[in-house]
Amino acid sequence: MIGGLTGKIISLLPENNQLERIWIIAKTDYKIKYYDTFLGMIWAMIMPLVRLLIYWLVFSNIFDKKIDNYGLYIYSGLLLWMFFQQGTKKGITALRSKRYLMMNIKVRKLDIFISSLLASFLAFLSNFVVYLLFCMFFDLPWSWNVLYMPIMILNVCILVFGVMLILSTLHIFMRDISQIWDMVLLAWFWINPIFFAKAIIFETFPFLLYVNPLAGIIINFRSTIMDGKPPDWYIVAYDYAYAFVLLGIGLMLINKFYHKAAEKL
Amino acid sequence: MPDNDIAIKLENVSKTFHVRDKTSSSLLGSLSDTLSGKDKRSIKAVKNVNLEIRKGEFFGIVGANGSGKSTLLHLMSGVYKPDKDGKATLNGSFIGLSLGLGFNAELTARENVYINASVLGLPVRRINKKFKKIIAFAELENFVNTKAKYFSRGMRARLAFAIAVHAEADIFLMDEFFGGVGDERFRGKSDKVFEEAIVKGRTIIHVSHNLSTIKRYAHRVMLMHQGECLKIGTVEEVFLHYQKTLKVDSLSVDR
Repeated sequence: MIGGLTGKIISLLPENNQLERIWIIAKTDYKIKYYDTFLGMIWAMIMPLVRLLIYWLVFSNIFDKKIDNYGLYIYSGLLLWMFFQQGTKKGITALRSKRYLMMNIKVRKLDIFISSLLASFLAFLSNFVVYLLFCMFFDLPWSWNVLYMPIMILNVCILVFGVMLILSTLHIFMRDISQIWDMVLLAWFWINPIFFAKAIIFETFPFLLYVNPLAGIIINFRSTIMDGKPPDWYIVAYDYAYAFVLLGIGLMLINKFYHKAAEKL
Repeated sequence: MPDNDIAIKLENVSKTFHVRDKTSSSLLGSLSDTLSGKDKRSIKAVKNVNLEIRKGEFFGIVGANGSGKSTLLHLMSGVYKPDKDGKATLNGSFIGLSLGLGFNAELTARENVYINASVLGLPVRRINKKFKKIIAFAELENFVNTKAKYFSRGMRARLAFAIAVHAEADIFLMDEFFGGVGDERFRGKSDKVFEEAIVKGRTIIHVSHNLSTIKRYAHRVMLMHQGECLKIGTVEEVFLHYQKTLKVDSLSVDR
């Protein structure tokens, strides 16, 4: 399935070795992760739905259904969160998993990370398709503002990329960063406006919107599709700036310490 | 020697590894190491090597286990960064050939060929054209879609070698590459490749315990001992020196 797609995409592109290379590595990363089977891909799509169902059952009872379309409300946040979670978790080991290449051939270091991001993005895309299908079951105020969604998705991509660079640099020196990051994610999950109405999280902890770049992204993403509103541009600017700062730090770190990777990993 | 004739240039290259005994590169581990006052130890694996290797040269490196040969190869390729004051230059694309590395065990022969060749710089269209040749050279026609983890050492070695040859890497860095491959027919084939490669101006750095290939092809040989370069010269010169200074039994001369 993916193989056929590759052929088509490549024949469309000008002969560009770097793009091909990134695509080939990303594709195989994706395949390895999902067991290289069609069923594997199906499972990857079912998992988020099961999570969604569980959260919905639990939280719709707790919150007395004050929010319209609560299932979709949760899903919107969950979708972006899972992209961030999977992308960064996979990114930690990006260098290590490509050690077999790094030791024997000259690899451009950014290719490794771009491929890793692309593999996670492919997984996100399949979930996104499920999400869009899911949306059709709800009575939503359709508007062209939906077309703003890619802005928020791109923002998550940059965020994932920056965090991935920082974490994988740390991973060269501290192998248990994976465990630490798991714990961070566990806590981080609960300061996202996934289950709570944004008003609640704004009122009680207004600073969280600024500490957690995903908060603003999720709120904007959700308002484009569920309320048919354009994103809050102030938040967009803030979260892009946030993502680019992390990206800058990540690039600096990886440039300084990349050469240690071959020795230490 | 004019610079554009040089494939590899090492200027005063040293490599020191800092290790802690029972090293654990983790946050908890380094905390406990620091608290228990465990010292860092420095190991100088390569010491002040100066070397120029011509394009098209077949360069052999010999020495006992732990004499720094593999580290030196990694310094040549740029995978390791030399200590301060040292400088390693490599002109051209390289492929490292060592047993057990180079492939992702979870990927098939086909996928591994595409990844490796693509990273080496070949456009996919060229790989498509060469793919059959690569597989034929490696004699893996029946295992194209088999995962590399099911391959024997010999099969892996053949595939890696086939990729290196057909992906047109300029410099081959071979580390004990034929160590586990006893297949006479494949050796014959690789000998042919060596001869062709030399004609085509490819540079081959060959680290081996098995001296027969080095004796046959090497233009120059370098003898390493405890990280130092003891001698560089023709095969005869180096072996003479070698017998005088070191115990012969640490190397298996001719198998």
